[in-house]
Amino acid sequence: MKKKTLALLLTVLFVLGAFAGCGSPAASTPPATTPTAPAATEPAASGIPAKVAPGYENIMRMVTNPQPDTCDPQQTTEFFCVNFMIFNRLAEAVTTGPGKTELIPSLAEKWEISEDALEYTFYLRKDVKFHNGNDFTAEDVKYTFERMLWPETGAKNQDFVDPIVGSDEVMAGTTKELSGVTIVDDYTIKVKLKVPFGPFIASMAAPAMGILDKEATEAAGKDFGLAADKTIGTGPYYFDKWVLNDELLVKRFDGYWDKQPELEGISWKIISDAETMRMMFEAGELDVFDTEFALSQLEYFTNSPKYANNIISGDRVGILYLTFNQQIKPFDDVRVRKALQMAMDRQGLVDALNGGRGTPRYGIFPAGVMGYNPNLPEIPYDPEQAKALLAEAGYPDGFEMTIAHDSSSTSALPRVELLASLLEDIGLKVTIDSMDSATWFATRAEGKLPAYTSTWSADYNDPDNFIYTFFAPGNTVKRSFNFNNPALSQRIVDARAIVDPVAREKEYQALEIAVIQEEAAWIPLYSVQHVFLVNDRLKGFKPSWNGWSDGWYYYDGLRIEN
Amino acid sequence: MARYIIKRILVAFPVLIAVSLILFVLLNVVPGDPVTVMMREHIKPELIEVFRERMGLNDPILVQFGRYMVNALRGDFGMSYKLQRDVSAMIREAFPHTIKLAIYAALVAWIIGIPAGILSAVKQNTLVDRAFMSFSLMGVSLPVFWAGLLMQYLFAFKLGWLPVTGYYSPRYYILPAIVLGWQSAGTIARLTRSNLLEVMKNDYIRTARAKGLGETVVVVGHALKNAMLPVVTMMAMQVAGLLGGAVMTESIFGIPGLGRITVDAMGTRDMPLLQGSVLFITAIIIIGNMVADLLYAFLDPRIRVE
Amino acid sequence: MQNSDILILNDQNLPPDLGLPPAEDIDAELLDNETMGDRIKTMLRKNKLAAASFVVIVLMCLAAAFAPFLTPYEPNKTSLKDRLAPPSREHILGCDELGRDHFTRLLYGTRVSVMIGLFPTSVAMIIGTVLGLFAGFYGGKIDFVIMRLADVVLAFPSLLLAMVVSYTLKGGIISIFLALAAVKWARTARVIRAQTLSMKEKEFVEAARSLGVKKSTIMFRHILPNCLPNLIVLLTLNIPESILDEASLSFLGIGAQPPSTSWGLMVFRCKPFLFEYPWLAIAPGVAILVFVLAFNFLGDGVRDALDPYLKD
Repeated sequence: MKKKTLALLLTVLFVLGAFAGCGSPAASTPPATTPTAPAATEPAASGIPAKVAPGYENIMRMVTNPQPDTCDPQQTTEFFCVNFMIFNRLAEAVTTGPGKTELIPSLAEKWEISEDALEYTFYLRKDVKFHNGNDFTAEDVKYTFERMLWPETGAKNQDFVDPIVGSDEVMAGTTKELSGVTIVDDYTIKVKLKVPFGPFIASMAAPAMGILDKEATEAAGKDFGLAADKTIGTGPYYFDKWVLNDELLVKRFDGYWDKQPELEGISWKIISDAETMRMMFEAGELDVFDTEFALSQLEYFTNSPKYANNIISGDRVGILYLTFNQQIKPFDDVRVRKALQMAMDRQGLVDALNGGRGTPRYGIFPAGVMGYNPNLPEIPYDPEQAKALLAEAGYPDGFEMTIAHDSSSTSALPRVELLASLLEDIGLKVTIDSMDSATWFATRAEGKLPAYTSTWSADYNDPDNFIYTFFAPGNTVKRSFNFNNPALSQRIVDARAIVDPVAREKEYQALEIAVIQEEAAWIPLYSVQHVFLVNDRLKGFKPSWNGWSDGWYYYDGLRIEN
Repeated sequence: MARYIIKRILVAFPVLIAVSLILFVLLNVVPGDPVTVMMREHIKPELIEVFRERMGLNDPILVQFGRYMVNALRGDFGMSYKLQRDVSAMIREAFPHTIKLAIYAALVAWIIGIPAGILSAVKQNTLVDRAFMSFSLMGVSLPVFWAGLLMQYLFAFKLGWLPVTGYYSPRYYILPAIVLGWQSAGTIARLTRSNLLEVMKNDYIRTARAKGLGETVVVVGHALKNAMLPVVTMMAMQVAGLLGGAVMTESIFGIPGLGRITVDAMGTRDMPLLQGSVLFITAIIIIGNMVADLLYAFLDPRIRVE
Repeated sequence: MQNSDILILNDQNLPPDLGLPPAEDIDAELLDNETMGDRIKTMLRKNKLAAASFVVIVLMCLAAAFAPFLTPYEPNKTSLKDRLAPPSREHILGCDELGRDHFTRLLYGTRVSVMIGLFPTSVAMIIGTVLGLFAGFYGGKIDFVIMRLADVVLAFPSLLLAMVVSYTLKGGIISIFLALAAVKWARTARVIRAQTLSMKEKEFVEAARSLGVKKSTIMFRHILPNCLPNLIVLLTLNIPESILDEASLSFLGIGAQPPSTSWGLMVFRCKPFLFEYPWLAIAPGVAILVFVLAFNFLGDGVRDALDPYLKD
């Protein structure tokens, strides 16, 4: 059996070969902190080759991950890359500056709001055609609203149409007609709300509210959102093809009612690993590399001077948080909750998890959303003070707690582990419970998740989109917060009806301090900067106002120079 | 011969049914709600029951199984929960990629495995023999995913010779085929070697040698033909077996085949998709093995007599 | 997947190099536990590689058992200042993305791999042996049911079946444990049944029967000891397979659950850092390779040593 000695030798050679291939590892390690180079006066080319496959000369090449479930805007809460391009909404939210947005008319030329803020009249644009040549009319708007509510649609974004009179009956399936919507004529439509809802117009600009073609959508049936040629909108691009697990492609629509985009189209490759995306970008196979899909590669790019001029970043109008279930002891004790808030090394988290590109947060409204309070008092990172608070609450030796983790979200795993470690620093014993997605969501909907970390970003620019989502009476159970302060919850509901912008902002800022800082009902962590890397051939790229990966890529100046 | 074929098919069929049943029961007894998988967070609780009823999830499990099998025989594996598409259409789209990978990998396995086996048999107990046999033992000891990563690192990232991932031309299949084929190469080499050694002990080989024929003529002309019989059937089986092996390889090399679908379905708990793809792969393997058996019987008359 | 597939195929075809010849070849009279042990000892003395492999395996098991004494670090304690630290005197394999000592995690990961290598395999083999004995000894309906079930299990690619079982059990190390046990019993059952069948015809079994010895005594006292060489060989095949399967499943995210770890999971977690910090993903892979290869070398040696018991 001595003959096997050779095998060992081979093994060793193989392994050594692999190590030799990587050269001197220590030398290739980038320095820990390199300040981002300021924009050079003359944008130097990074030397990324532009390896363009035939047919893609004028197509913006991006990546996405995971594969979208569907491109039907009503059926998804997270995959809007294609939706943004192939549909228009009644109004659009456009970026006017970093984190700043403005609502502009789109399929609705203008709108009027009645004195009591209950009736909205939309005057629709007359010259609009769908990709199939059909005319856009008020009938399509009504159909879009109703389809969202029909039980058989199985839509996931009913919240947006929910404020309209008659929505409950349609959702219950007792009627198909949404009584709160009246077609005045082909190009005028009236919408009645149950109660005043300040951000109604803003919510109409959310990507879920893309306007569908009644005829095409009905004809497509189950294929709508899945078969590219049957997914019809009015947008500047039409849906050209979807190759499963490979690529999504939209192309310029020649009959678009507004200014045509300069790009011939946009392609999203569906790539699941970070290293692959990175290599594709470095090889020039991508025009935009969205580091959100590959945070592990962020530091490499931000630290490497070669790419200093290829980085474009925008603040994400969103916030990462850790939350706990107030129904579970000892989270019913405000001192315990405050202790947990103080256990968070927010800057450390940003540095470790987002390459230092982010801002610690102490409230619920991130910068960029209306009502953001730049003067909010800081919550200090103070493990000693936290331990003292725990002792005061009767837990000098800490206690056991569980953080539930959705195992399908591998990118969130380092965050969960880091948070657990920070909590153990103040004497807690933390268990991470990995659940599959279905169980995680189901348990959360029952209000029974013990604690978890997640993120939320603005669907539309209004503070209501944050605080109502988490702390309104039903929502706080559905999200397993079980926030138990009826007076404050009621104030959150009442605030929706405030129409005066100044009064609104004041009330929301007061609520933020009361709920987040005084009640310590959740643990704000940080907001991230969304970093994109852009190939030299792409000019004029701007991230969307809310810092999402999916945005509105047909603004002026976005073009390719080969 | 006809009787043997019929018998062999009759054995395969109940196994196929039993495999489906086991699969179905395993996947359908899971507590938890597929509706929640489909709807994620924005579901209204009152709608859950409506969906369960419509999807037939409230029927007894055997009724569900019966319905599933009847549909499956018609080529309808249901709808993916997550992607809301026809599972059979997804399988049809993915299968060509997987079979392509399996065939390339089998080619690698044969091209490496058979000559290696022959050489090490001819040069028994020499350095060459040991080198080849150690190489094949490594093939079965390496974790596929790790070998794949190292090859990506070395040949794609460091040396830039080959693409990292993708499936757009045969070039893209080189690395995955090597990774997947290596372990089979080991098995084939060992089998070729031991069969050849066995055959070489026979009298007619001694006679051939005694006649003064060159060693090459003896091996190629006389021994190989008989030694290759089990190897040939093994090769047929291997293509089927490689289909199963493609699961890991595809996920690493970004090939949108059946393996990738299966792993994704596992991650998203997309039961119909997981069920459809596993059933399909298993069925192909069972049928592949059956064909291999028949091939063997066809080549070797002794089997038929038994 | 790995070699398990191939071996399953082999089972249906029983190629000669597997060391599992048809049971008829075995000469029962020759079998005697003491000389078997002696043969293995002799083999280990002569075969340096197998001996070295044995030492490696024992050392790795010891390392797993005494992990807390071999490292000053906690496996799950993060330390942000040490993020992705390169190998140094304090951290011989560097630190991972959360500043945890990589060597420490590798040691603790060894526990999972060793446990997965040993326990489900043993459970599966005990089940397989008992079922194989019953099937072979009683024949008839019992035989039919057990063997058809084994056929069905063997028809699945083992990794896929393990995936499906762990889907049902919702993942985690316990479900991997059960999944592997559920998959691996079938091959043992088949081999033991074949052997029992041939034993049944032997004179000493006939004799025991005619003397009115209880059936269970015949099965477990007379037939079972004669299956030992085959069981040992099967064990050396099953253990490395289980280790590889666990690594694959953990790599796919269905095995060990964070923050605890296993070798496969470590490769997966360190994969994104392959380019700048390649040692992170390479180290656990080397651990798997060395451990599995050692088992295969040892297995080859044991097979050679027990050859006379397996063939005449």
